[in-house]
This record gives sequence, C-alpha cells and structure tokens, in this order.
Amino acid sequence: MRTLNRDTVIAILLLLFCGLLAWSSLHIRQPGYGTLKPSTWPQIIVAVLTLFSAVYFVQSLSYPGSGSAESDGRKPGLSGFFEYFRNPIICFAIYFVFLITLPWAGALVGGILLVFALLTVLGGWAPRDLVRHAIYATVSMGFMWTLFTFGLRVILPEGEIFSIR
Amino acid sequence: MEHIFAAFAEIATVHTLLLMSAGAIAGLLSGAIPGFTIAMAVVLTLPFTFSMTASQGIATMIGVFVGGLSGGLMSGILIGIPGTPSSVATTFDGFPMARNGRPGLALGLGVWSSFFGGIISAICLIAIAPQLARIGLEFQPWDYFALVFFALTITASLAGKNLIKGLISGALGLLVATVGEEDINGVSRFDFGSDYLQEGFAFLPVLIGLFAFSQLMGDIRNPAEARRSLVQAGDIDIRIEHMKAAKIVLSRWVNLVRSAIIGIFTGILPAAGSSISNILAYDQAKKASPAPEKFGTGTEDGIIAPEASNNATAGGSLITMMALGIPGDIVTAVMLGALLIHDVVPSPSFISEAPVLAYSIFIAFFFANFLVLFFQSVALRLFVLVTKVKMYVLAGIILAYCGIGVFALNNIVNDMWTLLIFGVIGYAMRNLGFPLAPMILGVVLGPIAERWLARAVALSTDMTNFITHPWSVFFLTLSLFSMGFGVYQRDRGKKVWTLYYTPLMVLALAPAMFMMEGVIRPGIGVVMVAGGLYALYRAHQKAADFKPAAGERT
Repeated sequence: MRTLNRDTVIAILLLLFCGLLAWSSLHIRQPGYGTLKPSTWPQIIVAVLTLFSAVYFVQSLSYPGSGSAESDGRKPGLSGFFEYFRNPIICFAIYFVFLITLPWAGALVGGILLVFALLTVLGGWAPRDLVRHAIYATVSMGFMWTLFTFGLRVILPEGEIFSIR
Repeated sequence: MEHIFAAFAEIATVHTLLLMSAGAIAGLLSGAIPGFTIAMAVVLTLPFTFSMTASQGIATMIGVFVGGLSGGLMSGILIGIPGTPSSVATTFDGFPMARNGRPGLALGLGVWSSFFGGIISAICLIAIAPQLARIGLEFQPWDYFALVFFALTITASLAGKNLIKGLISGALGLLVATVGEEDINGVSRFDFGSDYLQEGFAFLPVLIGLFAFSQLMGDIRNPAEARRSLVQAGDIDIRIEHMKAAKIVLSRWVNLVRSAIIGIFTGILPAAGSSISNILAYDQAKKASPAPEKFGTGTEDGIIAPEASNNATAGGSLITMMALGIPGDIVTAVMLGALLIHDVVPSPSFISEAPVLAYSIFIAFFFANFLVLFFQSVALRLFVLVTKVKMYVLAGIILAYCGIGVFALNNIVNDMWTLLIFGVIGYAMRNLGFPLAPMILGVVLGPIAERWLARAVALSTDMTNFITHPWSVFFLTLSLFSMGFGVYQRDRGKKVWTLYYTPLMVLALAPAMFMMEGVIRPGIGVVMVAGGLYALYRAHQKAADFKPAAGERT
C-alpha cells in the first residue's frame, strides 16, 4: 500500500479542522439585534478554507511525489525528524519552560535563565562558553529589563522567589 | 497648511528625531545582515511604539523601513551577499566595483542613489496621496468592503510558487482574527469554552510569533551554521566617497529619475515590493545604456538604478496605505497594525479624518531619508562589529526580547503564550511551504472587512448594492483579476492566455468608470475602452506568433 505524502496528510488535517470549526460556528450565540449575525463572517471563512483545503487535497493526490522528508534533505522517520529539527524543538521547549516558570522566576531572573539556556544549548557548554553565555544573558536581559521597566514604564511579571519584576 | 505645520511640530522634536535616528540605525543594520529582513525589523520595533504617540510610533517604524531598504547595499557591495531581496541587483555591479578597488565609491553611489530615490518618492507621496485620498470621501460601506476584499485577494499575489498554499494561509489568517469576542455584538466565537480563546489573539504576539519567532528558529536550525559568525566580512576599513558619488549620481539623473519612478509605481501596486522594483530598474537601466555589455562588471548605472528604485518603492507603498488604507506588503501591513493599536482605523478617509497624523507620516518619510544618509557611515562601523557576532547569540537574545516585547502590549502573560503558539505554527508553516505574508494580511484585514460588511448590511440587506455602487464594482472587478494574478505570474510568457490578461482587465474596469458621475471619469472610461481594445488587438496579433517555452502547452 502506498503511504500518504506529507501534503495529503496536511490537507486531511485541514479538512478535519474545517469540520470542527464548522460545527463550532453552529453554536455561536445569535443576539436578537444587528443585521449581520456573529456567525456569518466566520462561516464564510470556514467555507472558503474548506474549499481551498479540498483543492489542496486533490492537488496533493495528483502530485504524490511532492512534500517528503527526503525533499528537505533529512532522514526519514521520527528519529530523522528529531535530528533535523533538534535546535528548534529544544528552543520551543525551553521557551515553554520559561513561560511555565514565569510566575515563580519573574521576567528578570526567568529571562536571564532563558537566554543562558538558549545560548548554552545552541552554542555549546564548554567552561569558557558557559561563562560567556552567563555574561551575555545577564547583560542583555538586564538591559532589556531596565529599558522596559524604567524607560517604557512596563510592569513586567514579578517573580515569587526574589520579588523582582 | 495648518495641518502641515502641526505635523511638522510633531515630528521635528528632539525626542521624535532621536527615536527616528535609532530606528534608522536599527533598520540599516537589519537590512545589512543577510537573513534578517526589513519586515522582521519593523515587527520587532512595534513593542517599543506602544508607549509613544501614534505619530512617533509610525515615524520610528518609517525610520526602520527606510534604513532597512538602504542597509541591504552594505553587505551586497562589500561581501557580495545582498542583505535583503531589495538589494539583489545592487550586488551585480556593486560587488565587482568593490573588488576592483573602489568600495568607497560603490558604497557612496548606493547611499546617494538611495537618498535621491527616497526624496523623489517622498515628493510623490506628498503630492499624490492626498489627491488620491479625496476619492475615499465618496466611499460608502459597500465600496469600503469591496476595497478590503480586493486587498484580501492580494494574498493570491503574495502566494509565491504555490498558489493554493498561499490562499489557505490567507484564509487561516482571517480565521485567527475571528477567534474570541467580536467587536460588533461582543459575542464570543470559536472559544471552545476556554477563557484564553475567549480573549482572542492580540495582533502583535501573532505577528511576532509568525514572523520573527519562526524566522529565528529557521536561522538556528542547522547547528553548524548557528555557531558561525553572521557574515564572514573580515576587517573592513572603508571611507564612503560622498562628494564624488553624489556628483556622479546627479550627473546620471535620467537613470535616477526613471529608476525612482519604477520604484514608486511598483510600490503603489499591491504585493509588488522592492524585491521586484530593484531588478526591474536594473533591467531598464541596462536596456537604456549605450554600453549594456559593461553591466555586471562594476558600472555606476548598475548601482544607481536598483538603489534609487528600492528606496522609492517605500514611498509608493505608503501612497497605497495612506490613500486607500490597504497594505501593499508586510511592512505596510505591520504599520496598519500599529495604527490599529493606537486606535486609528486605516481607511480611505484616513487623510481627511486624521490629517495631522497623515502629514506626520509624510514628513517622517522625508526626514527618514536624510537620517539614513547621515547615519550610513555610523551603521557601516556597527555592521562590521555585528558581523563578528554568532547567529545563535543574536537569536537567543532576540527570542527573549520577543517575549518581553509582546508582554508590554497589554501586560498579559497570555500574550507570551500566544507568541509561542504562533511561533510553532509559523515555523511549521514555513517548513511545509506555506507563505506567511498572506496569513499576516488576513489577520490585519479580517476584522476590517467584517466591520464594513456589517455596516453595509446594517444600512441595507439588498446585496445588489455591491454591484450598483461604482467603486464597489470597480474593486470587485479588480478582485477577480487579482485572484487570477498568481496564475498569470506563473504562466506569463509560457501560455498564450496571459497576453489577454491586461487588456481584458482594462476593458472589464471601464464599466465602473461609466457608472461614475461627472465627465472626467466616464471620459477615462472611454480611454480605457479604446486602449483596452487596441491592446486586445495587439495581443491577438502577438498570439499568432506566440512561441511558448519548451515543454509548455498553450
């Protein structure tokens, strides 16, 4: 059996997504005032997106060779995917952890840790690198924090541990 | 006149000029660094503009925009890698001239052509935009909706190679803008019971996530490349030859003016930006030159043409934004978004409703060209310093800045989550071949389109209003052709039907002109019919001799 190509999978996911949105648009509250219903515009967009997704689906079946791991120059399979996208995946994960710990660490401490972690993961963790990354992280985040807090008067998230905004 | 003075007073303050200077330097640097785009620089400037007045915020972004257009020439001339797509053609002659031992003159020619191109464009902006905007006063809700609908169809032109992916991207952008409480009735949509979704997605986190966050991820994907310095420029110690270059540029005034006009016209056309205009101007300069064979070896005209045109494009795109309230490219879409953040709703009546702000934009664009000229030498030194920084260092710091920047919008941590979510979506879309520009256009224009549709329907539920109002007919007709523009671009020169595209468009637009009042516009309609028929006849003649490219079917 021939496996589905990437474009076909994306098209199917888009069509499923359109179905979900179409169902959700039927449950949008309709107030008794106003001539254009709140659901009309979203329903128009969902209909258009469904049409485009259907065309995309048909197109993906017509050109089954397009959209594959090999065309990106990466190895097939999940391990190839993780190897190829290692840096972005780790960066997104670090950012996720930064946001989760933001109420606890605060913008300044959390930000310094974020920059330090990103630089270390991307640039290496030899002792000299670690020192350099720590300096970069402290100086850059310190500057940003000062600029936003005192220059732009933005109240950045305050951390529980040090109570520093 | 009092509006001009009031606008001048707003812009010509030390504070605003300092902000514009900072913007110009940031733009010059981002334009110079290959891999960083002007749009990204303008997007990243947005968080700083919240605490400013609308005119200061827009002026700062214009500084970045003009700086970015000029900055691309530095890396293009010195290292042969254009900093932005708008400087691709500059590299053709700028790099050879620099390698022939005249880097100072090459830079000088680029700098002064950019300056004069920008000034010509600023004069046109000030002269044309208010005249064009007067038409906007005639617009009724049906016309407004048709205009915004036309702007939405530009997504087809921004789609690039894969039309359907571009269209899907645009529709997704429209969809993103519908999530949460709508403006008109306050009814929540697509919230799935989540408080986070009920709030809707703020424009800025979506924009920064889609554009900046995802691009940085692309820049650091390859571990080896992430650890390299930004540019292998080496030690550069060059003095820009200002006097000599300015004289040469002025002596080639025909090339300068022609290139600037190409740039302005390309800028006015939606979706045709500086990445196209610089190549068009270079091509025209080569065709008009008595020594075309010298192009590519380091000729002066080969630098003047692309640099004059790419800076002039900025004025052209601002004309469309100011006069019609629609963005022609990502940069003007971001600027429209910035205006929305400051509660200024862009529309064709923008110049008449907010004249001081409008003239502030004109004056800021004028000043920006002088500031960019002034800061070129400073930026050149900074560029040499920045080239020594490794990509991952810059990416790591900018990623943190993105988070802090979006938080500054509403002081809500949820916006930072939105940034992450759209960063992931943007990165996935990039890798799957979906262009992001249409999505951004959809996010910006979606709510505006819905608002005008609601107003139109509130006035009358009779849908024939869309085909009885002349401007509505004009823009809806234009939309039909705009939707086919992507296919036209793909097939031009390869398939015979493309010969008929422009004549048919001109003929199709003529009836709308006949529907308008007065004598002049129907008169223009007559000219359009005559011109369209003649062009159709010429196209028919060309079709008889048409030879498609090998392997193409007509």
